[in-house]
Amino acid sequence: MYLESRLEFLRANQNPDGGWGYFPGKGSWMEPTTYAMLALHGTASDSTLDRAWKLVRSWQLADGSFRPSGEVKEGTWVTSLAVTLASVRGVGDAGIRASVDWLLRVVGAEHNIWTRTGSFLHLIKAKLDVSHEGWPWREGNATWIEPTAHTLVALKQAPGQYRGDEVNGRVRDGEDLILSRRCTDGGWNYGTPNMLYVDLPSYPETTALALLGLLGRDDRDYPGALNLAERFHAETKSSLGKAWLQIALRCHGRDVAGPEGSGWWQARDVMLAALEALGHPEGNYKLFCAAGKS
Amino acid sequence: MTRRKFALLSGAAVVGAYGGVQAQKLQKPSKLSDGPAGKSNVTIIRARSYSDDLVSRMLDGIRECGLDVRGKRVLLKPNLVEFDPATVINTNAAVIAAAVEVFTRLGASEVKIGEGPGHRRDTLDMADDARYRAAIPNFERIFTDLNRDDVSPVQGFGGEPEFYFPNTVLGADLIVSLAKMKTHHWAGATLSMKNFFGVVPGSVYGWPKNKLHYYGIPESIVALNRQFGKKSFAIVDGIVGMEGNGPIQGTPKPVGVLVLGSDLVAVDSTCCRIMGIDPEKVSYLRLAADIGHVHRERIEQRGESIRAVETSFALIDDFKDLRLV
Repeated sequence: MYLESRLEFLRANQNPDGGWGYFPGKGSWMEPTTYAMLALHGTASDSTLDRAWKLVRSWQLADGSFRPSGEVKEGTWVTSLAVTLASVRGVGDAGIRASVDWLLRVVGAEHNIWTRTGSFLHLIKAKLDVSHEGWPWREGNATWIEPTAHTLVALKQAPGQYRGDEVNGRVRDGEDLILSRRCTDGGWNYGTPNMLYVDLPSYPETTALALLGLLGRDDRDYPGALNLAERFHAETKSSLGKAWLQIALRCHGRDVAGPEGSGWWQARDVMLAALEALGHPEGNYKLFCAAGKS
Repeated sequence: MTRRKFALLSGAAVVGAYGGVQAQKLQKPSKLSDGPAGKSNVTIIRARSYSDDLVSRMLDGIRECGLDVRGKRVLLKPNLVEFDPATVINTNAAVIAAAVEVFTRLGASEVKIGEGPGHRRDTLDMADDARYRAAIPNFERIFTDLNRDDVSPVQGFGGEPEFYFPNTVLGADLIVSLAKMKTHHWAGATLSMKNFFGVVPGSVYGWPKNKLHYYGIPESIVALNRQFGKKSFAIVDGIVGMEGNGPIQGTPKPVGVLVLGSDLVAVDSTCCRIMGIDPEKVSYLRLAADIGHVHRERIEQRGESIRAVETSFALIDDFKDLRLV
């Protein structure tokens, strides 16, 4: 019942151009469109999803990257979402190959000689392993846990013909980056686990996304993280955090309660509706799990 | 979790590591600009607690500043960064609620609230924690998450041919920076001008808005104020500020004031003097001295005098040299 209400909300709020906005009546963006398409995969008419996919493809730039919306002219981290969508839809054309190549080209800005030298000389006020490349929200910026996790999900699902040594190498290095940035409490912060030499706490949503990025990696590499995620799930008030935790925990084989639908803004947040639908016990969370089977 | 642990939370982490390095690149103007012609008015209003009649106090302050908002679309921009019940990170909900009532009473055609936090993605959950929904009538109807608003480009901001801002921000006739009076471990102080970081959309630039840190924190503060300063007004919540290792992990510091004005450079300079910080040593204010007034003699102080309310804020070691002598 709850799942159907979320899916109905998504169907009712598809924009005429085929995409979804972050909120009803707003312009279409890649992020809510991706999650809505994944949530509706297999449940909506082909034409609903085909229209959305056509819009997504219209946002691709010549360099292979994808724009976050029709208004924005620059490609960003959302390229990873487009690659995940392409894999789910079984699309593996030259355009998507170019997107994978773009993802392979992009690295966190701190992975440069200056920052590595600064780190070696202890000039950076954080315990930060800058030997890994990872992925930023935007080319030329620092590596962050969320875009790194999204890109790992995308690359692990990328069609077999793309899977070469370079992809495998970046995936392994991206996983190592996530592992290197684990907080002392066992989960993940948005950025680093430490700043000004003070340990930072982890958050529900970032811990969930880090665990999605690590799918397929032996969980002995991150002992206790799944238990912490379960505790976060039981305790957090954040609907967004809870939704991501449901997806991640289910993909890791943990059984968790379904969404409760108590948030006051849930009636108007399209992205949240899609993520809650995906994380439902009967939802499409398995579309993320495929990343662990590569 | 200790407050210090909670403190630097995430955003500040990588941001700080790189942003701090960038900030050191700043080429400070050797001579402080005299600023625009004339003087700027800044009003200091006493408000000893959040249960005071803030509506009356704010109305007094706005009238003193001569601000006319009739028929204008007003966007209130609070400082909502992170929630920690042990300290005072955000603009207090009572100040925002009072501002909604004040600008409505003064004849604004529309009063909205908008914020785009720097690293936390669940803006609405944080707003709930900060009691915004409970304290502000119709909050869910008038609030916009600026991180996820639709956007439009402006030309030439931040060294980029096009830079995107939320339509709610671009469409406002008046942006009211409802800032918190805090120290800041990268900028020295965070007041009405730095509060504009929250208008940069995460949907385009990510969480945090890393572009701003690479461009330089002081440079970004000033660029944002060049962009929006002319249609802005400031109300700084100094009823209880934050000292020490702000903007997240500092300690509550009661001052008992609201500081208001149309010249945000002058408002921030006045706040600095109240906090015991020399604004002429604060990098972003030095950079901004051509768009507003930093010099004490170019600011007409109304309401309370600085001397009557000055409250020395604790500064971290890196900023001890900012102390007003």
